[in-house]
Amino acid sequence: MVPMPSKSPVATSVNDFTALPLRLTSTTSFPKQTAHYLYLRANTPKLPTEDTPREVFLVNVPVDATETHLRSLFADQLGGARVESVAFEGARVGKGITAPVAPAKKGKKRKRGPTDEGEEVAEEVGQLPEVWDREMHASGGTATVTFVDKASAELARKRARKAVKEGSKITWGLGVDDRVPPLGLARYQAHHKLQYPDPATLQHSVDAFMSAFSAAETTRTKSLTRQRSIPDADGFITVTRGGRTGPAREEEVKAQGEELKKRDKTRVKEDFYRFQVREKRKAEQQDLVKGYEEDRRRVEEMRRRRGRVRPE
Amino acid sequence: MALSANKRRKVEHSSPGEDDAASFASFGEEDGQDGVPGEGTELDGRDSAHDGNALDEDESDDEDEAGEVEAEEAPSLPSVAAKMLRKTQSRDARAKAAKTALDSGGGLYTAGTFKSNLFKLQVDELLEQIRPRRGKREEAAEQALHALKRTIDKAPARGSFSVDEAERQLLMSSKVAVPFPSPKPPKDAKYKLQYAKPANSNVVGSFALKTATREKGSLAVDMTVTMPSSLFQDKDYLNHRYFYKRAYYLACIAAALKAAHSSEYDLRFEDLHGDQLKPVLVVTPAQPAGHEVEAKPTPKWMVKIIPCVSADLFPQDKLLPDRNCIRPSAEAKAEPTPLYNSSLRADMLMPSYLKLIHNAASTSSAFCDACLLGSTWLRQRGLGSNIAVGGFGNFEWSALIALLLQGGGPGGKPLLSEGYSSYQLFKATLQILAMRNMSKQGLMVGHADGDTKLVPNGAPVVWDGPRGHNVLYKVTPWTYIQLRQEAKTTITTLGDQLFDGFEATFITRVDSPLLRYDHVLELPASVVKSANVVLFDVLKRGLGDRVIQVAILPPLTQSWLPGSARPTIMCQAAIKVGFVVNPDNVNRTVDHGPGAESKVEAASFRKFWGEKAELRRFKDGSILESLIWSPSDSGKTVLEQIVRYLLGRHFGEDAEQGAELIGDGFSRMISQGSTMAAFQPQMEAYKQLETDVRGLEGLPLSVRQLLPADAQLRYASSQPPLGGKGRQRPMPADVTIQFEGSARWPDDLVAIQRTKIAFLLKLSEQLQEATDSVTARIGLENQNRDILNQAYLEISYESGAAFRMRIHHDREQTLLERQLKDKLVGPSAKEAAAVGLAAYKRDYIKAPAHTHAIARLCSRHPALSGTIRLTKKWFASHLLANHVADEVVELIAARTFVQPWPWQAPSSVQAGFLRTLHWLSRWDWRAEPLIVDLSGSGELKQPDVQAIQTSFEAWRKLDPSMNRTVLFAASNVDPEGTTWTDGRPAKVIAGRMTALAKAACAEVEGKQLGLEAAGLFASPLNDYDFILHIDPTLSGGRKRKNAANGTTFKNLELAILDDSSLVGFDPISSFLTELEELFGSAILLFSGGLERPVITGLWSPQTAVRSWKVNLAYSTIPTKAPKAEDVQAEINKEAILSEIARLGGNMVERIEVNR
Repeated sequence: MVPMPSKSPVATSVNDFTALPLRLTSTTSFPKQTAHYLYLRANTPKLPTEDTPREVFLVNVPVDATETHLRSLFADQLGGARVESVAFEGARVGKGITAPVAPAKKGKKRKRGPTDEGEEVAEEVGQLPEVWDREMHASGGTATVTFVDKASAELARKRARKAVKEGSKITWGLGVDDRVPPLGLARYQAHHKLQYPDPATLQHSVDAFMSAFSAAETTRTKSLTRQRSIPDADGFITVTRGGRTGPAREEEVKAQGEELKKRDKTRVKEDFYRFQVREKRKAEQQDLVKGYEEDRRRVEEMRRRRGRVRPE
Repeated sequence: MALSANKRRKVEHSSPGEDDAASFASFGEEDGQDGVPGEGTELDGRDSAHDGNALDEDESDDEDEAGEVEAEEAPSLPSVAAKMLRKTQSRDARAKAAKTALDSGGGLYTAGTFKSNLFKLQVDELLEQIRPRRGKREEAAEQALHALKRTIDKAPARGSFSVDEAERQLLMSSKVAVPFPSPKPPKDAKYKLQYAKPANSNVVGSFALKTATREKGSLAVDMTVTMPSSLFQDKDYLNHRYFYKRAYYLACIAAALKAAHSSEYDLRFEDLHGDQLKPVLVVTPAQPAGHEVEAKPTPKWMVKIIPCVSADLFPQDKLLPDRNCIRPSAEAKAEPTPLYNSSLRADMLMPSYLKLIHNAASTSSAFCDACLLGSTWLRQRGLGSNIAVGGFGNFEWSALIALLLQGGGPGGKPLLSEGYSSYQLFKATLQILAMRNMSKQGLMVGHADGDTKLVPNGAPVVWDGPRGHNVLYKVTPWTYIQLRQEAKTTITTLGDQLFDGFEATFITRVDSPLLRYDHVLELPASVVKSANVVLFDVLKRGLGDRVIQVAILPPLTQSWLPGSARPTIMCQAAIKVGFVVNPDNVNRTVDHGPGAESKVEAASFRKFWGEKAELRRFKDGSILESLIWSPSDSGKTVLEQIVRYLLGRHFGEDAEQGAELIGDGFSRMISQGSTMAAFQPQMEAYKQLETDVRGLEGLPLSVRQLLPADAQLRYASSQPPLGGKGRQRPMPADVTIQFEGSARWPDDLVAIQRTKIAFLLKLSEQLQEATDSVTARIGLENQNRDILNQAYLEISYESGAAFRMRIHHDREQTLLERQLKDKLVGPSAKEAAAVGLAAYKRDYIKAPAHTHAIARLCSRHPALSGTIRLTKKWFASHLLANHVADEVVELIAARTFVQPWPWQAPSSVQAGFLRTLHWLSRWDWRAEPLIVDLSGSGELKQPDVQAIQTSFEAWRKLDPSMNRTVLFAASNVDPEGTTWTDGRPAKVIAGRMTALAKAACAEVEGKQLGLEAAGLFASPLNDYDFILHIDPTLSGGRKRKNAANGTTFKNLELAILDDSSLVGFDPISSFLTELEELFGSAILLFSGGLERPVITGLWSPQTAVRSWKVNLAYSTIPTKAPKAEDVQAEINKEAILSEIARLGGNMVERIEVNR
């Protein structure tokens, strides 16, 4: 069931991507030198922005990649192109390989698309503290690297192609180990520590969130009230929620309805008329027959599954 | 239908020519009703006349048929063919009629006479399978019967010899040793032994009556040979004389058969039903070279030749159970000899019982089927006619039903009615066996003349008045207790309306001693010189209320060749004794005996216990004889101490040395013992927490309830929460808290979560202010999903107990449901809502209810906690801990206790665990949901079960390939069934679980009593593609502490951090979770939790080589074959392993790659 590695030679490029081999240094637990293949090309999103020319799109980013890693990779080993920022692909939804790529995790400092105004406010002020000192990225994930200018981006790509052609050794994580938080047990310890933030910080964050939330709430109610009371340009008044004072909750209404139905049922007893008794009996009989059919089907099914009934 | 059958039979019998032709062989016919049991030809005549005619009178006028049989062994072919044709036709017609009857009013028809349609249909099918058919085996057996009969009839009479002469002469002439029972006859015996042509020979038993079930084993046919009365004298019933003559007679038959058939048949002697008084001759087809008459694949059959005598040979009243028939040599008191008397009487009554049963079969149409059901039931429980396996077998079963159809009730009315269906007969008979204590008050059938005294020692009595015989004379007291127990269990099973008890009643084998008993004692048979009854009495008295059941399984007697002497019971044969313990009493260390004042009892007590008995004065002032045992945790269990002491005292040193007690190997596997005592500190801490929280006054809302929701708070965590010595880092136990309702909560999911944090902050502040011994801090969780719970309050006590408290706010559910239904929100928000709703229900509703139910069940069944923990250990040892949720394992284990059928609820961890595995190996999770009534008191009702079943079927229809839900585990507190199994385990994991359980059961079955408990927990690692060996110091915190204060370890930082901040720190599970998140689509990971410090993985088959694309969720190597067009993506296993190694850092000691 496990795919066996074939002996075909490694390709140097695929589609427009350059497949850049990164040497992985051996570790004590896995003393083996291997290569990781990072694919890169110019970023070509469907809706280009003004930053697009100076961006490079990476595929199959190592799980432990950080911005520092990539900065160092391009600056020290690929011709010194300077990176402005790195955007990693967010968490995937579900496990499927072809699953759509979800937008980046919330809580990133990265700029997000325009959303609801009120939420945006709350988002920014009421952040809960981070609990990881170093985020990991799902295996095979992508990232977009923005360089300082277009020339740098091109340089980076060119040097990558050249490195592939010349077969020069490029090592992953060369010289960055001291600049990023350590992995392994230390990282989990740090995580455990960060999981329990200082109560004051937490209180502050919650207070900020709640006040922003109530402010947003108030704004929303106000705007709704305004819409309700002021006719628009055409002289229409928009119908909005929350007009009446103390409206009944949806669930309560439903519960009341159920209650009413039940009362209806008990008003005339079920065995009052003769036809009711007759129908009831008929229904019972039908149930019995149906149950019998059902049982027979199940026995049939059992036989199909287990073979004949035989004592062990 | 019965009527038509009767008619048909008459019609058939009116053509005597044909039937005569088949006379002796007719017992092999296909048809249940019209096969004539082998009373020879004369039965035909009587059969047509006998309807309504009482058969009770003893007839022995069978002399006339012997010749006929010989003459008509080869019926003309056409007539047979015609008959077969007729039979098939009529059978078809009948089957059709039956079918239409079912089709039309089937549902109503079975309403009363069967448990349910499902049950009836299954029983029908079972009967169809086990009903005897006429096949090659049967034909071969019949052929042999004819041949044997011919030879026996031709055998020459042997003149009267003295014992010595007779023995020598037979040995010299034909090398047959006379199988005399012990004691051997005296050399100077006055009486003479002789052989004459048998008065008649018959086929009797279940084969003739068509009540033999079709089995894979050999077909057994009983053939009686009636010894002529002229051979016996009036007083021959005394002092084994009858049995000596019988043995000689049998030896003569053996000699004759040996001379005539030694090439065709193998002959062996055997004790009839293990009764050494009555040897019989067993004829089987010759094994090595097939004879030309027989078909090439030798049909397996055996014919038992049983000598018997006519019923009027000896007077009945001399052989009543209370009479003595073995005169003591000296002046000793003549004790009654019930077994001897009944054994002799049984020989006299053989034809009579044949008639009785045949009569029952012809008057009650369902009788045969009831016998078939009964025989299956007995077989699955390891019960049989042989004395060694209980002495209650097919014959006893059918005779009992036949007798109960005639009488036994008040005023001599029949207890059973002829109109009963087979199921009703079966169940009613079980009911009588279960309810009536026949050892206290014998069951009388027919006119019982005089008062028949009971057999002592608690053996049962079913007194057949007309025949003057105790049908159950062979049944041992312990078997009778067992039989009643089994009957009771089955009655309960059949009474269980919720679950189909068919499988438990007829299919499952129940006789494996490890599954059946809590402890099994094995001791060499040679040491128990006296009867097994003594052993039974000693153990029963000695163990008292510690055990519910003591069952003795003596070794089976062997068969032997006619030329050799009867084998003595071999030294290496072992007697097994099974114990079912009473978990409440079994570990009691002090036994109170009689007081010092009651002299007689005290003396008997002292005599029984010897120097172990001590006179002690107790706190309440009483002075009692007493026994002191050392507690179970110190080496041997109390049970073992007692058993060994008793054996040593009553059976000598050898018995004590040779005895081996199996049964507590499994409970020793559980860390800190199988008792619930280890959980007590945590439980107390929880109570303290509840008091503390309720005592807080400054909270904005008052507390409505506090509910535990963790395995540690339901006696079910595989590691006990707070160890005494060598304790490990405590894991916090989950608790939910609910406040009173308030309208001031925000109406937004994200805001609710933040409000909860505010509440927890307040709670934490107040709790620390009010109580000194508490540290509380807020922990964050679910960072990426802001509508899920965001924070919990971690409360640790100085004692070490720790809790995680989450706020349950019921408005969340409404909001989540609304979001799910809302047409305006996008699919990702909907999915988030679905996840949120599932989490809400799981954490706040199901988990507390489940915890409550399991905790209650644990206190009801003392062995449940241990069973759950051992089962969890088993799952973890096989690295399935991260796939099968704790709750599912708990449900699986609890099922063994609340639906124990076909056993009773287990009373020891071993039985509980092994039965759990047994069920697990047979659970067809593809087609059956697991439904457990955790209340144990019938809170789950029929409609609930229906609903669960329906929802299970809906799931299977929705997801037939089982990608999402594989196991379906519902309970009375969780009718949804997918709460704990949504998404995991995957199908391949569930398959592995079943395979492992099957392997474990095979091991149990194969090794039997030699089973090593640890063997079931060992699991090889070479099945996996790669193995991460985790630093073992991480899994057991205590190891680090004990060893040199941690200075020798590389993870020094840990020792520096003080203990309380590390509460709940579990780097391995964090690592595992992260690995699953990062590599989940390429690797299937297995972990053993704290049980085994390894994480193993299998590469997913989805990572096969494929064309390259951007969105592959695993690291790849781009490859291009020299001539290929496009680039292929191949999984980069080494790079992935290197990533894992980097991620794990110093936690991973070594990565082992198998593939």
